[in-house]
Amino acid sequence: MPSTRRTRLNEQVRGFVFAAILVAACVITAMAFPDRPTGPRYEGAGGERRRGGTFVFHHESDVRGFDPHISFDELSNIGIKLMFDGLLDYHHDTSLYPRLAEEMPWQSEDGRTFRFKLRRGVRFHNGREVTSEDVRWSMEHMLDPKIGSPGFTFYTQIDGLDEYRAALTALDERIERAGNDANRVRALRRERAGHHISGIRVLDRYNVEFHLKAPDQTFLNAMAMTFSYPVPRENYAAHPEDVARHPVGTGAYMLEEWEPGVRVVFKRNPRYWREGEPYVDRQVFELNLNRDTAFMRFQSGELDHVHRFSPADYLFIKQARRWRPYLDEGPKVNLWGLVMNCELPPFDNVHVRRAVAFAIDRDRWDRTRAYRLEPTGQPIPPGLLAHDPNLEGRHVFDLRRAREEMRLAGFPNGIPEPVTLWIGESATGKVYGELAQHDLERIGITVELKPVAFPVFLQATGKPRTAQALITGWSMDFPDPSNFLDILFHSRAIHDHDSENKAFYRNAELDALLDRARVERDRTRRAEMYRRASRILVDDAPWAFIWNDTKLEAWQPYVHDYSPHPVWDEFYRDIWLDLPRRRIARFEARSFATRLASLLPLPRGDRR
Amino acid sequence: MIQFLLKRLAWGVFVLYVVVTLVFFLTNAIGDPASATLGPRAGAEQLAAFRRTHGLDKPLGERYLAFLGNLARGDLGKSFRDGVPVTEVISTRLPRTLLLGSIVLLIELFVGLGIGILAASRRNTWFDTGAMGVAFAGISAPSFLTGLLFLNYLAFRLGWFPVGGYGVTFLDHVKHALLPAITLAILGAATYARIMRSEMIETMRADYIRTARAKGVSAVGVLFKHGVRNAMLPIVTLMGLSLTILVSGAIIAEPIYGWPGMGRLAFEAITALDVPIVIGVVVVFCVTVQIGNFLADIAVAALDPRIRLQTDRQT
Repeated sequence: MPSTRRTRLNEQVRGFVFAAILVAACVITAMAFPDRPTGPRYEGAGGERRRGGTFVFHHESDVRGFDPHISFDELSNIGIKLMFDGLLDYHHDTSLYPRLAEEMPWQSEDGRTFRFKLRRGVRFHNGREVTSEDVRWSMEHMLDPKIGSPGFTFYTQIDGLDEYRAALTALDERIERAGNDANRVRALRRERAGHHISGIRVLDRYNVEFHLKAPDQTFLNAMAMTFSYPVPRENYAAHPEDVARHPVGTGAYMLEEWEPGVRVVFKRNPRYWREGEPYVDRQVFELNLNRDTAFMRFQSGELDHVHRFSPADYLFIKQARRWRPYLDEGPKVNLWGLVMNCELPPFDNVHVRRAVAFAIDRDRWDRTRAYRLEPTGQPIPPGLLAHDPNLEGRHVFDLRRAREEMRLAGFPNGIPEPVTLWIGESATGKVYGELAQHDLERIGITVELKPVAFPVFLQATGKPRTAQALITGWSMDFPDPSNFLDILFHSRAIHDHDSENKAFYRNAELDALLDRARVERDRTRRAEMYRRASRILVDDAPWAFIWNDTKLEAWQPYVHDYSPHPVWDEFYRDIWLDLPRRRIARFEARSFATRLASLLPLPRGDRR
Repeated sequence: MIQFLLKRLAWGVFVLYVVVTLVFFLTNAIGDPASATLGPRAGAEQLAAFRRTHGLDKPLGERYLAFLGNLARGDLGKSFRDGVPVTEVISTRLPRTLLLGSIVLLIELFVGLGIGILAASRRNTWFDTGAMGVAFAGISAPSFLTGLLFLNYLAFRLGWFPVGGYGVTFLDHVKHALLPAITLAILGAATYARIMRSEMIETMRADYIRTARAKGVSAVGVLFKHGVRNAMLPIVTLMGLSLTILVSGAIIAEPIYGWPGMGRLAFEAITALDVPIVIGVVVVFCVTVQIGNFLADIAVAALDPRIRLQTDRQT
């Protein structure tokens, strides 16, 4: 039947034609679509610092809770810094200043006693005034073994702490044994509550004194950590199970609303002790927002600050001229390098270690990681006391020198046995492993990579005579050189397991120097000591010091007084907003219709 | 009829039991919730305390029995992450997914059935070929891809929709729901359009249509009163099944658009190893799917007397 065949043929032709039209439509639409905006969409109205507005920020994951005694992660600390204050805090240059304390603490001559004088009239969100009793209770609660605070290790120098913890543990056992005897349990509980740390003394309503076992200047840093922040005990009594969900502090903001996994809203604390502060009415913390969506929302003006980027977005915003004034990419206070086990051959030979340190082509590492690293060659990160960009003997890439050191080590033709390098299992871990492999091959060291899961990595590298070499890093707990040098290179940090001195490096001279620097009160003399320690370390090369991680952040033009803080990630307490914001017309992408018209071959003056 | 209901109920409970058991053992096999929840910096004491409070230190069998007991009482436990009761979390999240789901269903029905009926009544025209071509493309397009494309092009570059999120007022919610709903509706609408078209063509050939025409019923009357009603039967069955697709689609689309519903909850709970939430979500999804199928059965029976008789006789 010819007619049917023709119909079928027609149908097929129609199908093809239609498919062609569909494809063409897709192509035209794609070409005609507006570009992504190359700069901010809004700008501020201009003018003086003022109050008001809502600031919206985000994170890729979920927040665990806001209990300063327990929380020890980036997300929780964002909220804790908004809702709580410490006795001491850090300026943007990592120097300390008194916050809830009226002045920097008085110190005794022997450097073992610190007396804090509290500011008067500081109130918790519940209206009660903060007194020295609150400071003591907060410290004792945080150091209670039952709380299991991860901050405990920073306060072990307080006098009487060990006795306090032992007494509480013993009482807990007795309470457990007392079991059903309610009266006895109550009596024991009362006894437990009556225990105090002998090294913390309440002098009067506003003065509290800390007594240490030995002089230690880093105690001041410990008193600026969130663990030491004063909290009201009645709030802990009201929420024994979930105080982290009911934060009450002295801070600039109060918790208004919290939907787990979705958002946390903070509102201005009307009773804040700093007159006129904070400036922003409300801060909204959007949770679980993936970085691609977040970046689009940021560009659309729905988010006010971003700090995680996909590789494509990272390159885009770094090259976008109009974003430049609102960007910051600085090194964070951390240290990464190739750690060599000084107890195991061939790294028991200092010349081999030096050869490795000079064989690492740091610029190539940086290039491979799309310029996200800040190459370094010394143990103290930039931003800290005693970091010296021109440190004598700092590690740089110098192949001739590396080969010379190999010759001095007695391996002019390389080392016959391969070296095992432990690395993290992630993709980036392997990238670093391969970079090291390539660099060391050039001086005759064959590297075998051993990628392992993070817990295995921690376990193996903390044990003596186990891992020959590894790539690892350290981020500070507080901004002081001791937090790097004491932890990573002091022989005290060598244990049978969980050693932080993963190079198993022992040097009595360095140990003595670090111990003296830790108690030195004069900042200049202290800096000089740490510089000397740095020189010893680059010379002995237990690590090849390679890089400091950087972090890129961007914010909207109408956000003022924000700049990345070296200690606190995403620290938004003191910002103000220049509102109402204005849409910037000239940065707008062209409309769909104009784009479509621009595809037609019409004569036009303005062509991009 | 009651017998039929009871049988369906028993079957549903059995399916739920099997699914929940599988999920319980699988989630317990993949990792350590304590370290996943507390993070890499948690000390051994904290980990031990966490395991104690959540009963993770007990043997697996004992935990399983305790879990079943609680489940039978309607207690889904508390979230590992923030200690909020799972039922409370679900009661805030579920209405949002239902809102999204109903918008999806509306779009699917209006667009899908409309295109299907039109294509059938203009068979072999340009409209027919075009519509079926688009429908075919719609069936082939994966929603995780269309979701990202829509978000980037329609929301971000053109600014027609908000770039993800949920909003504050109800109108806001609907506005924010539109783009994820369109993303999710593409597959359903395309499927409905194709099935509706072929069913309509089939139905319009039937004898009773000719009879109706012969009796002088108007063309529109024939189309809707006799044609569409009969062609709807397979669509109704499909709608019940499409609840399954809605649910699984939500897991993909909600995280992309940051829509804080059950899908995003499931996604986040799985990545965070928040076992009680994962199980809670699975229970809700499982029940939803069962209800969907059940409603489809009832609806089909209501639309077609022959089927009702058959099921009655079977049970």
